[in-house]
Amino acid sequence: MKTRLALVLAIAALAAGLPFGAARSASFEGKTITIVVGFKAGGGYDRVARILARHIPKYLPGNPNVIVQNMPGGNSITAANHVYAVAKPDGLTIGTFNRNLVLAQLTKVRAVRFDQTKFAWVGSAASESTVLAIRSDLPYRTFDDLRKSGKTLIIGATGPGANTYDFPLLLKEFLGVDLKIVSGYSSSADIMLAIERKEVDARAGSYTSLRPFIDRKLVHPVIRARAIETGIEQLPVDEDLAPTPRAKAIMALRSAPEVIGRPYVMPPGTPDDIVNAMREAFDKAIKDPQLMAEAKKGKMELEFMPGGEVLKIVKVVLSQPKDVVDEFSKYVKFGE
Amino acid sequence: MHSKASLILGAGFMLLAGAAVIIAMDWPMKAKLFPLAIGIPVFCMATAEVVWGLLDPAARSEAMEFKLSEQAPGRAGAGRTVRAIVWMVGFLAAIVLLGYPFAIPLLVFLYLKLQGREGWVLSGVFALAVWGVFYVVFDQLLHLPFPAGWILQWLGLA
Amino acid sequence: MIDALLEGLLLVLQWKAFAFMLLGIGVGFWVGLLPGLGGATTLALMLPFIYAMTPVEGFAFLLGMHSVVATTGDITSVLFGIPGEGTTAATILDGHAMAKKGEAGRALGAVLASSLVGALVGAAALALAIPVVRPLVLTFGSPELFMIAIVGIAFIASLSAQGGRGMLRGFLAGGVGLMVATVGQDPQAGIARYTFDSLYLWNGLDLVPVLIGIFAIPEIVDLIVRGTSIAGDLPRSRLNQGAIEGVKDTFRHFWLTIRCSLIGTFIGIMPGLGGAVAQWLAYGHAAQSARTAEERKGFGRGDVRGVLGPGAANNSKEGGSLIPTVAFGVPGSSSMAILLGGFFLLGLVPGPDMLTTHLAVTFSMVWTIVLANVITVIACFVLLNHLARVTAVRGHFLVPVILVLVFIGSYTTNNHYGDILLMLSFGAVGYLMVAGGWPRAPFVLGLVLGKIVENNLYISVARYDAAWLTRPVVLVLMALAVAAILYPLIQARRSGARSEKHA
Repeated sequence: MKTRLALVLAIAALAAGLPFGAARSASFEGKTITIVVGFKAGGGYDRVARILARHIPKYLPGNPNVIVQNMPGGNSITAANHVYAVAKPDGLTIGTFNRNLVLAQLTKVRAVRFDQTKFAWVGSAASESTVLAIRSDLPYRTFDDLRKSGKTLIIGATGPGANTYDFPLLLKEFLGVDLKIVSGYSSSADIMLAIERKEVDARAGSYTSLRPFIDRKLVHPVIRARAIETGIEQLPVDEDLAPTPRAKAIMALRSAPEVIGRPYVMPPGTPDDIVNAMREAFDKAIKDPQLMAEAKKGKMELEFMPGGEVLKIVKVVLSQPKDVVDEFSKYVKFGE
Repeated sequence: MHSKASLILGAGFMLLAGAAVIIAMDWPMKAKLFPLAIGIPVFCMATAEVVWGLLDPAARSEAMEFKLSEQAPGRAGAGRTVRAIVWMVGFLAAIVLLGYPFAIPLLVFLYLKLQGREGWVLSGVFALAVWGVFYVVFDQLLHLPFPAGWILQWLGLA
Repeated sequence: MIDALLEGLLLVLQWKAFAFMLLGIGVGFWVGLLPGLGGATTLALMLPFIYAMTPVEGFAFLLGMHSVVATTGDITSVLFGIPGEGTTAATILDGHAMAKKGEAGRALGAVLASSLVGALVGAAALALAIPVVRPLVLTFGSPELFMIAIVGIAFIASLSAQGGRGMLRGFLAGGVGLMVATVGQDPQAGIARYTFDSLYLWNGLDLVPVLIGIFAIPEIVDLIVRGTSIAGDLPRSRLNQGAIEGVKDTFRHFWLTIRCSLIGTFIGIMPGLGGAVAQWLAYGHAAQSARTAEERKGFGRGDVRGVLGPGAANNSKEGGSLIPTVAFGVPGSSSMAILLGGFFLLGLVPGPDMLTTHLAVTFSMVWTIVLANVITVIACFVLLNHLARVTAVRGHFLVPVILVLVFIGSYTTNNHYGDILLMLSFGAVGYLMVAGGWPRAPFVLGLVLGKIVENNLYISVARYDAAWLTRPVVLVLMALAVAAILYPLIQARRSGARSEKHA
């Protein structure tokens, strides 16, 4: 008697449990998805988000509405914190923020209240490599020329924490070039003006932002970081010239986030099927010919790296040994 | 009012500048140079202002500014000023607790009813109209994010 | 060059480009008017819409929108005492004072006419400067920018009240402004200064909530306390008469208007000075034109010259700031940075090309600014009486609307409640300053110039050691700074002597 009752109860429980076991297909029909951008409207991250917002809907089941909202503040830490803890993991929020936030987490910046490894990673929409570009009328054609000349090169920078400052700093510390870093320019565009004025000789920065000036032949790049973008493949890589493994590790650490140039995440705990649908949509949208034409017009080059690969890189960065991190923190401070 | 406000400002700036200088002392040279170069003179000027104010309270400087209207001087004026402050702080509280979409018509309605002593219908219609414009322009057209109020979040309605 | 000039005009007059310009004007009209909407943010939001347009069409839209913002922003400043834009705050001082005296029509007429003059001067500068612009901009390096900022600080002397006590308070306010500007991360050592571990304060204090707080809040409190309409109990008939009077004022003080337009254009050309500076320098200069101590006191109480100066400067600055953007690809302000994005979208490369091969497109931009401003001013004149009538509306209807706009406006810049607190805190400071007779303009000037002073000083010293002090332009600017401080002192003494003679 008891066994039969137990059996009936067991079957009933199983039957009741069935709907939860069935696979759900994610559909966004009638919904609005919000991409939260950690910077003000008009900047690089914002423009990428907006171009994606226009082309993702047709690749998502249910063809939802995708809008962009700006949440600037704390160099995008505010937005990252928000997407981590406040936004609901229901597939309706995507976040994009400063690629260097993983370094902020590594160097234990106090305001950080997220764990990059716990985000549901959609992926990265582009890689943004840093190059050093010097004024074309200077007699140095290659990085080697510069090193051998022994002369001082004046570099304009915006401030610590930006690649305009950090990249040349590491070059100076480890590669033995005589660089004088003049910091305080209000934007990287102002540095270009200073270069034209011959107030400074060179600037480091993302290849994308330097492209118009390289095309105009005002400056030419002489050395790059590890991430590859079309046009700079031939340049020497800073890490490769590092004299010691420690130096190489530090330079690699600085440039690791650049491969994840435009990171896109969803809140931790977002169901896998939704994340996968989003990854697929991003992948297809970035290959969409219309998006590519628009991106080209806007001098942007998008390339998708799926979330799984991004997460691997993030984990590698966060697992660096303490002594490397300590020395890294001496040079590179997370900032504006 | 003149001299009282000036004393408050002068003393306030003294405190501000003094604190700023003390905090800046610990920083590396490059970071503290400018704050100290400005902060120390500001502290001296603020002290001079306070001293001058105590020694010669009658002296006024007419700045190129509007003067607060003197239509309701004395206690009546002070009472109304406090009311004004209460309205503004109250609006802030409503925004934080209820969120913009609820706080806005609430403020408009209450202000017209309590401060303006207008009728129910007029106040209600105007409040609705203002809310309508806000909704269309700021929410629908521009998609500006307005977070839900704390109370709504706590109740699970957001 | 003449044929490029004409070609540019024809490009703008094509019906499609013209239609887009009108659309842009329509959008910009409201953006400037509403304190919640920033010109820069809206520009960014509009960028996606221009993907499909040709360069001339795209620019007709963007520039049509952008040129208008400074004009309608002035209207909000005059009518409500709220800065419609960060660049129109100075107009509040005399413009709103005039509105409270029942002279809203006149103030609006003056603001519109001077805005038009300023825009035309700025556009003319853009056109004429093209052959000389590259050597001009290249002469002004970091040492020169530092000195310009020092000249700006020296102008505090003109913006302060008269007398020793007035000067003390003026420079005290200016100094506090400079200190407040240091909040945030410093660009030399990367230290987070005065942030008290708050993420909110990391990027420093945002200008818009501070401006709204320090100018609008005291006005709102006053409005609530008075319980009347903005124009008080003055008879209604006076409101309509003034507009023509205001236009006449612009021509009565024509050379002042032109000079302030030139100041605005010049500041606009200098990249890195930001958009908010020009209006204050123009206001200071206008105040210097007062010939007696009595006249000087009138500033801030409704002297029309206090409206003409900033009104002209914030429009002429737009034409000026296009110059470094077009000629060098270096934006002169944040709106220009977004416009630059528009350039790329439309397939244009800013740089020497824009001044040679694409000269017609550059001129079409000049014409867009001219036409957009003319159209806007005409439209505003038509609406003028209705606009001025707002000052007669009963206070209790206006106060909640103004409060809503002000609380939205300070929030939407960064989407952070902290900005509202910031606005209220500076509102308290602004109220105390008004009650105590302290000038607020020097504080704002210190705040906008703080970073420019500090950073350019460091760059100059790091790059040139001490040699920069003897550069010719630097010496000229130093003399100018000294003159700016001495001028009001000499004036005061002279008018004091004059009044003694009459006594």
